Amino acid sequence: MSAITVDLRRNRLMLSYLIVAVLLVVLAVAGGLLSDRFLTWRNIGNLFQQLIVLGMVSLGQTFVVLMGGIDLAIGSLVGALTVFLANFLEWRPDLVWLALPLALVAATAVGALNGLLTVVLRVHPLIVTLGMSSIVFGATLMYRKEPGGSVPRAFADIAYAKVGGIPFSAIVLVVIFAFAGLWLQRTRTGRSIYFVGGDREAARLNGLPVDRIVVLAYALSGLCAGIAAIFLTARTGVGDPRIGAALTLQSVTPVVVGGTILAGGRGGVLGTFLGVLLVTMLNSLLNFVNVSSYYQWVIQGLIIIIAVGIHTTRRR
Amino acid sequence: MAPLDTPMPRSQSMSMASVFERYGLLVFLVALMTVAALASPTFLRPANLVNVLTIAAPLGMVVVGQTFVILVRGLDLSVASLMATVAVLATAFKATTNEAIPMIFIAAIALSAVVGLVNGWLVAKRNVSPFLATLAMMIILQGIRFAYTGGAPISTLPPGMGFLASGRIFGVPVNLITLAFLAIAFGIVLHRSRFGREIFMVGSNPKAAFLNGVAPDRVVILCYVICSVCAGIGGLFLLGYVGTVSNWVGQGYELDSIVAAVMGGVALTGGRGNIFAALLGVAVLVVINNLVLLLGFPIEMQLIIKGVIIIGAAAFYRTRLA
Repeated sequence: MSAITVDLRRNRLMLSYLIVAVLLVVLAVAGGLLSDRFLTWRNIGNLFQQLIVLGMVSLGQTFVVLMGGIDLAIGSLVGALTVFLANFLEWRPDLVWLALPLALVAATAVGALNGLLTVVLRVHPLIVTLGMSSIVFGATLMYRKEPGGSVPRAFADIAYAKVGGIPFSAIVLVVIFAFAGLWLQRTRTGRSIYFVGGDREAARLNGLPVDRIVVLAYALSGLCAGIAAIFLTARTGVGDPRIGAALTLQSVTPVVVGGTILAGGRGGVLGTFLGVLLVTMLNSLLNFVNVSSYYQWVIQGLIIIIAVGIHTTRRR
Repeated sequence: MAPLDTPMPRSQSMSMASVFERYGLLVFLVALMTVAALASPTFLRPANLVNVLTIAAPLGMVVVGQTFVILVRGLDLSVASLMATVAVLATAFKATTNEAIPMIFIAAIALSAVVGLVNGWLVAKRNVSPFLATLAMMIILQGIRFAYTGGAPISTLPPGMGFLASGRIFGVPVNLITLAFLAIAFGIVLHRSRFGREIFMVGSNPKAAFLNGVAPDRVVILCYVICSVCAGIGGLFLLGYVGTVSNWVGQGYELDSIVAAVMGGVALTGGRGNIFAALLGVAVLVVINNLVLLLGFPIEMQLIIKGVIIIGAAAFYRTRLA
């Protein structure tokens, strides 16, 4: 009985992946036809270089959504961390080795705090992370209202570095995604994230440490936001409190496009990865054919609706 | 038929817990105002109070609508984007005389109703989660709006719009009177009408509502339409207050409206809440913001305090009712 449901679930997920993969190929072909510069190595390299920020925040969101929550503090957190990194590195450029772990620890701590608050106060995650987002954003603005700071050359290089012609950031992204995927599928803790997202009460009755898993998922989301912020700061070279404003909601799009269900318990990181590729490639293509960013918004909205329409089956 | 005639859903909305909630928040508001009055003599000046209420009115209009949607287990993230879109639509008439105002209102309400219909259809008929449906709507409206304006602000407005938004009749802000009118009208719909009882039924148990002969889809869709129409009207009043249409008029109202409703005890899980308590939530929110300003704290502090209070208030209701 349970074997059958698992099988069905897997098949449906496979179908989602397949649809997104086909769309990716269609986009690539369309891009190639519409512009002869789209399918050049140079552009593909650029495209992969851009993946890391959206990729990391979407991965973080995937953990939380799979666990049955939502994290709306991601954007503010990324903004705060870019401000921290750029200002810290302007003050002491030699302390990169200290700044990066500090940023990651702080990010993880904020994420874990989100999780703790939902667990201890039993407040809807939407409210908790929204509140946290407001607190983090306010605190960042009190420290610095305008973009500022700077980063040393060596640090900036991590955003643009290439290993054997492949962008370093893309390699990092793929490795992290592969690791995350294996962890979710193959380890007890990873699988329990699905269990908690599918049916929290059942997970509790089965003796899973539900509260700890919730906190873990949010902490991972924070950690991912930290990694995103590091690469973002390296690329832009400044700390901008508002830079994350759009990221929160953007992080949700690849997750749902990749077939992960917002209610939790179903989906996976491979889908999110394909979703990130699709969104990034689509935006790049639209830029190539000079579609204004205004219409890109419209298209992004339609994609969310269509993706959800494809992935959801009508239940009553 | 019979179940609808029994007072069950209403008694649920007026239970001890919810009465406590309402007065608990009122006590909090009074305490907050006392602190404000002690901290700054400016606070209780009529000019300041009227100012606070004028600012609160458009948000209140949005909250009235947001309450309907949250009651049926939804939420609407597209309200702020709709407010700005309605504002742009209002300037599209390029009207300089007040005769255009009714036309502007009709067009705005029509557009809002269509937006609400689409939101509601996606949620009720297509099973899209309210978060995603209204998020997508928010982005789509934003794109259309920017594409139309090219990103530039416009300011051709009939002079009467300004009066509606910040004018006064016998010292009472016009927009506050409008809000009171809206709140009472929709309050009667929600707390006294058959449709209102259906909303509470669908919110607390859609299946039971269905078995009792209520069409949940129809109720949900109507709630989204009501929400969008309230937001659209709120957008017109906010526009008149601000004077020029930036493409971001109303930004932040989607979250503030949800926060106010939750502080007012409207449960995100649906089926529980009261319009007037939600409006008290608005009052708390604007008094806090005003207090921060009067105390001379940097305006960014509002964000921090708001964040703490929203989590705290939600936790308070959680434990009270557990």
